[in-house]
Amino acid sequence: MDDTAAARRSEALADLLARTALADERAFAELYRLTSSHLFAVAVRILRDKAAAEDALQEAFVSVWHHAGSYVAAKSRPQTWLTSIVRNRCLDHLRRRVPDTMTLTRDDDEGEIDLPATGPTPVELLLSGADAAMVRGCVDALDGGQKQAIALAFFQGLSHSELSVQLREPLGTVKSWIRRGLERLKSCLDHAGMAGL
Amino acid sequence: MKLDRPDRPERLDALAAQYALGTLSPRARRRLARIGEREPAVVAALRAWEFRLAGLADAIPPQAPPERVWTAISARLGLAGAPKPTGRHRTRSWWSSLALWRGLAFAGVAAALVLGLRVLAPVTEAPGPAIVAVLAAADAKPVLLATVERGGRILSVKAVAPIAIPAGRSLELWALPDGKAPRSLGLVDAAGAVRIALPAPAADVLQGVPALAISLEPAGGSPTGAPTGPVLYTGRIERI
Repeated sequence: MDDTAAARRSEALADLLARTALADERAFAELYRLTSSHLFAVAVRILRDKAAAEDALQEAFVSVWHHAGSYVAAKSRPQTWLTSIVRNRCLDHLRRRVPDTMTLTRDDDEGEIDLPATGPTPVELLLSGADAAMVRGCVDALDGGQKQAIALAFFQGLSHSELSVQLREPLGTVKSWIRRGLERLKSCLDHAGMAGL
Repeated sequence: MKLDRPDRPERLDALAAQYALGTLSPRARRRLARIGEREPAVVAALRAWEFRLAGLADAIPPQAPPERVWTAISARLGLAGAPKPTGRHRTRSWWSSLALWRGLAFAGVAAALVLGLRVLAPVTEAPGPAIVAVLAAADAKPVLLATVERGGRILSVKAVAPIAIPAGRSLELWALPDGKAPRSLGLVDAAGAVRIALPAPAADVLQGVPALAISLEPAGGSPTGAPTGPVLYTGRIERI
């Protein structure tokens, strides 16, 4: 989506959010129609379980209905605000499950995972997401390990231990990749004016 | 969670980054969220990181959710088309929702600013409007001003910002009495001013009415006596 199309879409979503805040049901339904596929995809990738993703999406939109009034257009794009709500719900759900070691079994039973067999990898998603947000340079500046760890954590909700297993690296290495990667991203993103994107 | 160390802002920032990414341990995540409930600095750090990162999710290929998700949302919120108890209950939830009242709080402040009112001035012999409502959308920018002179029976409604109405539609003004269904006060103009004659002194007509609202209706106003279109603007009534 090019720049002007993206700006128009943001404006349309902001308008729908404003009207949702005034209890406009048609605006809310339209908001759902325009954004639910993206948000559902975010949830499915993190939770890797369609039923759980459906619940998360439902909870997120109930939240949007009640809190649309707290969206401030000057502080972030509507899409970003909505994505954050969904991501937080999913991460809370994931992290509520008992110790990290239990979630490692997700990888063992391929039959349970609802991800598409083909499609972009987490790192590819990170790169194209950065392209879309016009901060590709920031992501390119990360080391391979930092990119991998951040991409897997961000898109698949992997914890430090899960990353350590998946990437076959010591826990300390993975933690350091995440920490340094985030530090580098922060200064680059802020410089690109992305805080509050 | 050592947030009381001298390097607290950096530590907070690092924790907030990991929270937003999702890599905090379950316990740390819960604790940071709890601290965030009472510390604005923590909320600010969390939000900043969420917004830095959330935009990176834009390239995920969309996946349509099943219909049942919308059905569930609709039923849970009691939206139109979903099963709900009574029509009266529905009207009440329409205008008494928390979001609506939060918006009104801003409009009240806007009222004082727009009119340059000295809110602390003595009320007894003040000339000028006795009842004022500034109507605005969620962004709190004043769009319409409704005023009544003290003891008067004429409600003046004036547009103070451009309003675009689609052809074949009207703007209708509603009184929102506490605990009761909205009551129409008549149609207003998108441009210029309208003078609405009230059936009795404003103080009586607007007794127990904390707020006004404007909805978008078919030409000539709502055919049902209740709002049928979207609410565009709301405003709290200030009595001076």
